[in-house]
Amino acid sequence: MIELNCKLEHTDFTLDVGCTLPGRGVTVLFGPSGSGKTSLLRSIAGLERLVGGRVVVNGEVWQDAGFRLPVHRRSVGYVFQQAGLFPHLSVRENLLFGARHRSGTGLDVAPVVETLGLATLLSRGVRGLSGGEQQRVALGRALLSRPRLLLLDEPLAALDVGSKSMLIPFLENALHLLDIPAIYVTHSPDELVRLADHVVVMEQGRVVTGGPLVEVFSDIATPLNRLDDAFSVLPGRLLKGQLPGLSAVQTGGGNVFHVPLTNHKRHQAVRLKIQARDVSLCLEKTEKSSILNILPAIVEQVSEVSSSGGCTVKLDLNGDRLLARISAYSRQQLAIETGSCLYAQVKAVALLQGSEISPPAE
Amino acid sequence: MQQADLTALSLTLQLAGLSTVLLLLLGTPLAWWLARTRSRVRPLVEALVALPLVLPPTVLGFYLLILLSPNGPVGATLQALGLPGLAFSFSGLVTGSVIYSLPFVVQPLQNAFVSLGNRPLEVAATLGAGPLSRFLHVVLPLSRLGYLSAAVLGFAHTLGEFGVVLMIGGNIPGETQVVSIAIYEHVEALAYSQAHVLAGLLLGVSFVVLLAVNLANRRARLTGLL
Repeated sequence: MIELNCKLEHTDFTLDVGCTLPGRGVTVLFGPSGSGKTSLLRSIAGLERLVGGRVVVNGEVWQDAGFRLPVHRRSVGYVFQQAGLFPHLSVRENLLFGARHRSGTGLDVAPVVETLGLATLLSRGVRGLSGGEQQRVALGRALLSRPRLLLLDEPLAALDVGSKSMLIPFLENALHLLDIPAIYVTHSPDELVRLADHVVVMEQGRVVTGGPLVEVFSDIATPLNRLDDAFSVLPGRLLKGQLPGLSAVQTGGGNVFHVPLTNHKRHQAVRLKIQARDVSLCLEKTEKSSILNILPAIVEQVSEVSSSGGCTVKLDLNGDRLLARISAYSRQQLAIETGSCLYAQVKAVALLQGSEISPPAE
Repeated sequence: MQQADLTALSLTLQLAGLSTVLLLLLGTPLAWWLARTRSRVRPLVEALVALPLVLPPTVLGFYLLILLSPNGPVGATLQALGLPGLAFSFSGLVTGSVIYSLPFVVQPLQNAFVSLGNRPLEVAATLGAGPLSRFLHVVLPLSRLGYLSAAVLGFAHTLGEFGVVLMIGGNIPGETQVVSIAIYEHVEALAYSQAHVLAGLLLGVSFVVLLAVNLANRRARLTGLL
């Protein structure tokens, strides 16, 4: 368990966070730029000097009233937005820098090199490496530094789209190489959905909400879910394709979603991200429609009307929770209330690879 | 070359070498502090360090002489402690040279530390490196061109010192007579050929040293080590 109580005052920004994060799995700090995610991450690592409060990581006190463990004594693996490799060292020497300074047992070099695809780079200098390669070395260096907590500050943000999509699988594998908690900062919904087990949503230096990924993104109380770009996350597994030219995913609630053909393996764990505005509601099942995914649903909750004139409807699809974003007018026309039975038409589904969501340690 | 000239040459090299070592040792913490502090006294300290750049060496030498003479505050203290005085001695020359060449060492180091930035240090700290290790394994290797410039400039500048030496060291052969003063003496005595030998030597050494530094810098830049 990670206990955080951080207060930081800058001239134009205040961080004030009190929360408890699970002691295993990937927790994503999610929020817009300037919401204090990076400041919080730096505070945990001890890089923010002026932060006050308490930091306890799986029983180890890193900071408390009148006590501050210096950065180099905190067992973190930190990946910065810019790789920050040491230019005077080779790739191999960069990788081994941390292990040289911390005692104790850690990962062997070989599995890290293999997982991150670094074998051919080892003897090279770091100057000629591409952005993606540099970030892979930085990731390996952090993993090999015998950390007890992995902190990642938007490790993909500085990369172009191509390198990003190439790096994500490495990142996913790397995060599961060590059985230690990871805190991952991002403002990208796709990275969030792909990597998170838990999520903490931040805004203006404060925690707005937090919890398991699926719950946070199906809870109408979450501020993000009352906006027009609200979305839900459904974990599932790939089935044998049932319709020609399409793949199929079965979710936890037993619903089958047809998705564009993918080359993922059968039974592989995936996550579906569904934009609330791509879900429309109708009272009768339309038989003749180009929309493939039409599923029966019961309305569980309806939000207030937002300033944009829309409201968010939380649906129960046999245990799966799905958000739909409709206009207040439609809601009135269809007389949608808690308990209404209707059909959800899902226009678009994004399939993101993801691991099975690991339960928090008690 | 006469024996006296050889003695002066050897003394000069010793003076420059010892001063450079001391300058690097003293200059490192000073430059580090200047590069990283947000203290309000920083401009004050920077101006003090830079003073020898603009001050006539004789002015500097004059005040040092006052300070170091047996009646001056430093000289009197040394005498009270039973230590040898610094005026008109080799130790006094080293003291003067260190002050005189300070900006030539501190400024390149300060620039190197500033351009290093905070990030490599933060990265090293998160990888478990303590302050000493961060300095030895990150700061030093990444600032080595700064150190090279600092050492060469400090050495070369001390080599050419004249005014300060004359004021606080006088002209004692084997003790305080350096090459620049020996040249002056030869010229005074109209011994131009002897002056030529020493002057040419100093010119050659200075040029070769600076050329070597520039080439090293260029190579480092080409191979991407800078």
